[in-house]
Amino acid sequence: MGNFSVGFNLRDTVQVLSLKGELDAHTASELEAAIQKCKDDRQYRIIVNGAHLHYISSAGLGVFMAFIEEIRNEGGDIKIAALQPKVFNVFDLLGFPLLFNIVDTEDEAVCLFEEQN
Amino acid sequence: MRRPVLLLLFCTLLVASTAYLLVMGTAGHPSTPAELVYHLSLLVCYGALWLLLADALKGQRVTPEKALWSVLVVGIVCFGLSFAVLHLIPGGFHEGRPLSMSTILKSVLLSCLQAIFYFVLLLFFRDLVLLRRTKKSIRNWNLMLACMTLAAAIGIVDSLDNTETYYPSAYWVIGLVPAALCIAVNGLSISWIVRLSFGRKMKAIGFSMLLLLFFGLFIWFGLGVELPGSRDPVGLLPVQSDYLHTYSAALSTFMLLAGVFGVVYCATVILSLVFHLPTTSDFQRRADEIAVMHSLTDLVNQVFDFDKLTSTITASPVRAGSATAAWLALAYPDTRSLAPRVIATHDIERSLITERIDTAALYREVLSTGKRLVLEEAMSDRRVSTSSSDGIASLLVIPLVARSKVLGGLFVASNVPSGFQQDDVEAITIFAAQAALALENARLFEEQIERERLSQELAIAREVQGKLLPHNLPCFDGLSLAASSVPAQEVGGDYYDFVELDDGRLAFIVADVSGKGTSAAFYMAEMQGIFQSVTHLAATPSEFLMHANRTISVLLERNAFISVIYGLFDPARKEIALARAGHCPAAAVNANGNARFLRSRGLGLGLDGGTLFQETLEIEHVSLGQGDIFVFYTDGVVESRNESGEEYGFDQLLASICRHRHENAHDLHTAVLRDLDQFLGSNCQYDDDMTMVVFKWHGREQSRPHEARITT
Repeated sequence: MGNFSVGFNLRDTVQVLSLKGELDAHTASELEAAIQKCKDDRQYRIIVNGAHLHYISSAGLGVFMAFIEEIRNEGGDIKIAALQPKVFNVFDLLGFPLLFNIVDTEDEAVCLFEEQN
Repeated sequence: MRRPVLLLLFCTLLVASTAYLLVMGTAGHPSTPAELVYHLSLLVCYGALWLLLADALKGQRVTPEKALWSVLVVGIVCFGLSFAVLHLIPGGFHEGRPLSMSTILKSVLLSCLQAIFYFVLLLFFRDLVLLRRTKKSIRNWNLMLACMTLAAAIGIVDSLDNTETYYPSAYWVIGLVPAALCIAVNGLSISWIVRLSFGRKMKAIGFSMLLLLFFGLFIWFGLGVELPGSRDPVGLLPVQSDYLHTYSAALSTFMLLAGVFGVVYCATVILSLVFHLPTTSDFQRRADEIAVMHSLTDLVNQVFDFDKLTSTITASPVRAGSATAAWLALAYPDTRSLAPRVIATHDIERSLITERIDTAALYREVLSTGKRLVLEEAMSDRRVSTSSSDGIASLLVIPLVARSKVLGGLFVASNVPSGFQQDDVEAITIFAAQAALALENARLFEEQIERERLSQELAIAREVQGKLLPHNLPCFDGLSLAASSVPAQEVGGDYYDFVELDDGRLAFIVADVSGKGTSAAFYMAEMQGIFQSVTHLAATPSEFLMHANRTISVLLERNAFISVIYGLFDPARKEIALARAGHCPAAAVNANGNARFLRSRGLGLGLDGGTLFQETLEIEHVSLGQGDIFVFYTDGVVESRNESGEEYGFDQLLASICRHRHENAHDLHTAVLRDLDQFLGSNCQYDDDMTMVVFKWHGREQSRPHEARITT
């Protein structure tokens, strides 16, 4: 169950979290901790890169919901990039594209943040 | 039964031998055969006395001091009686035959009294010599008795030759040698003195000395030694040995040897005790350590009582004597902090520990090194801020390790600096290892109890949740239905239900709460309440879902949401209206095998409490054709994975439905799940809650009885 990791990468003012492995009820706490760390660092512009995310469960989706309101209140956002088709489908079924910017590449997400400035 | 016989034997032979002495002894020189019979019968007679006394003293487990004391008391009594016999019966000892009446009577009584004393002495000392019963020690003892008896038997032969006066022969002297050797060997069997406490050793020394003194007097007077300054031999028992020898040379020899053994043994005991006195405290400590070890074996039995266990663990080092205070601090893994909590204390105030001693810092050190920590001068350590009156001058911290996991630390304090010797430290370390195991066992035991309680409660929860799902499927002309729901754990977050509305329509729902387990189950129950009440008030699927979203959004945690498919089946218009709120799209298959997913737009419940939900929700209206099949399911079905990690997926599900589209709802439901099981292979333990509801419209014309299948 431990095959999940979060990589941190700062691009200018945007914090990129690269997810790798499977995000489910057991590993959700790791992503929670990662986003919490961004919050503690007052880093509210977050891109979640899902290029290496193979699976996400509803508990994994819940992590995004847990933080989005607070982060948007601070003027930031969580943007989701480079999801694999199968994982995107899970996001899509629940209607996440209505709530989040979900884009094909990390660069696009960065651009979105830049446009907001 | 044995005793009366022995008593009778003794009395009879005693009377008979006395009578023989009276008849033959006064007459003159008896014949040798008659003398032999006399001596042999005396042997049997005193043998019976020995057995009688052995019988009387058997089974009495006396302490060494008491044994010595008892021998002394018996000796004094016998001595006193002998004195009385000598002085109350008139007439002195006359050498040579014929024997006078008084000589014979005195001989018999004195011999009897002395025999009783020496027998009692041997029997009591036997218990001391054989305190450590080994084959060897028992053999040595029996050998000594045998040698003494042999020497006595030589005495008989001797006395047959020298009836006139007492002249020991060379045979007799030679016969004494093996007996003397045995006495020397048995005289060294004094292992019992090691275990005595100081006080008891002193007592034993006192009694042994008195006994030795008594022997001195006895032998002195017995041999008829003249008192200084007195003209005549004025001893209390002037010529007792003469009386004895006249009576029986054999008995006299035996008692002489017994006396020698008594003296040798007492002397050895006194010397050994004196030499052992200084080391008594060491032996005492060793004994205490053994006692502590014994209390340890009790620890395992106290597993059922955690408090008792911890108080025993803290009390033991103090009871063992090396420590003056002890406490136990455990770091519970469930608190997620490394800071240990003081669980039990002994001879120290808990408040003193929390205020003055940095238990956590000390614990951290033993945790990092994994080794015990000895603070010879505790008060000079920065982590200990006690004053000299608090009684913590040296401190020992031992990690409690069980199954290679550190549970906490045992803190043992002494009120003097450098209060722990190396062997104390070793002993307490061994103790700590045992204590850790006992603690771990107790924890596992409690965990087991807790797990059982939890599983019982979950079983109840499962039963309650089962009742939230419909027991009977509704009946509609031309429609067959089948449904099942299997939670991955005891309880789950999946839900399906049906409500027949007043206008003849059928409302149905399939919902999946995010996550699984207990929290999901609570929201599932909430959803059931909403469905059962709001459905009757909502005219359309979107109306229901908007109400439901508004209600449930308030209740849900921020990271939780519910995906729902809600539908209204209208048999009059042969139509189904569907709304998908973030749920897995329904599979629709018609009789010709056209298959698709009904993927209308819609957010999951609880994702947006505002207007976005309402704005984005789409309703899909599907007209029913004969043989149309709708399968509603939760993600547990499509996300199930086989051993090689492949997901079942949407395509395989749709293909399976297509394959079995000619079956009625019940058989289709069974067949689709069977296909899934086949795909999963041996990996049939579902990872997620799995729910499936099958609708099949057969058409009004060939109305078939509905099929129902419910599995929970």
